[in-house]
Amino acid sequence: MENDLPRRREAAGLSQGELAEAVGVTRQTINAIERDRYDPSLELAFKLAAHFECRIEDIFQPEASDEET
Amino acid sequence: MFDTGTPETTDPGRARRVYYRVVYAIVTVAIVGLLAGMITGRELIGTIVYCAGVWLGGGIAYLAPKLTDVPLQDERDTDLYNRASGLTLGVLFVLGLSIVPVIYVLEAAGRIETPPEVNGAILLASGLFLVWGVAYGIVKRR
Repeated sequence: MENDLPRRREAAGLSQGELAEAVGVTRQTINAIERDRYDPSLELAFKLAAHFECRIEDIFQPEASDEET
Repeated sequence: MFDTGTPETTDPGRARRVYYRVVYAIVTVAIVGLLAGMITGRELIGTIVYCAGVWLGGGIAYLAPKLTDVPLQDERDTDLYNRASGLTLGVLFVLGLSIVPVIYVLEAAGRIETPPEVNGAILLASGLFLVWGVAYGIVKRR
């Protein structure tokens, strides 16, 4: 799963820790999502989308290999 | 629908670090206490220190995340625990499946004599899989 969370977070002027605090997870989790090392739960994806006032698919996009399966 | 409000803390990262350090420190003291008791011949004191440490550390590890708004553990931690547990069980399963029958066959043939420690380890691993099976059944129905 690809995402543009770093771009949105930086555009909002937030650190990873601040975003983590806002959505109720640890900074390490935000870091792992941004580095494509962890796919968030649906609940966390909804929280992130609500925080940036957009849709989930605006932040997260399936990779080409994901779409084929 | 979602509460995206800021938890009542100034530094969640620090709280998380303190939480892990306290839990690991208590459990470390417990294990060192047990080993020290064994080495110095004060097994009873070592056992008491160990039990107290494990119960205290386990209690803090279990209760602290429930008693605070600070995210000491989150969904990624749970995911990591689940994957590590699955990997551990997988390794034990493969090792057990490839080693235990061989041990029993060779012992039955009189080729080797299994020490009681190995039988204890096999029993322990069997018990672990039994507990896992029961836990899986319970979790599946919830």
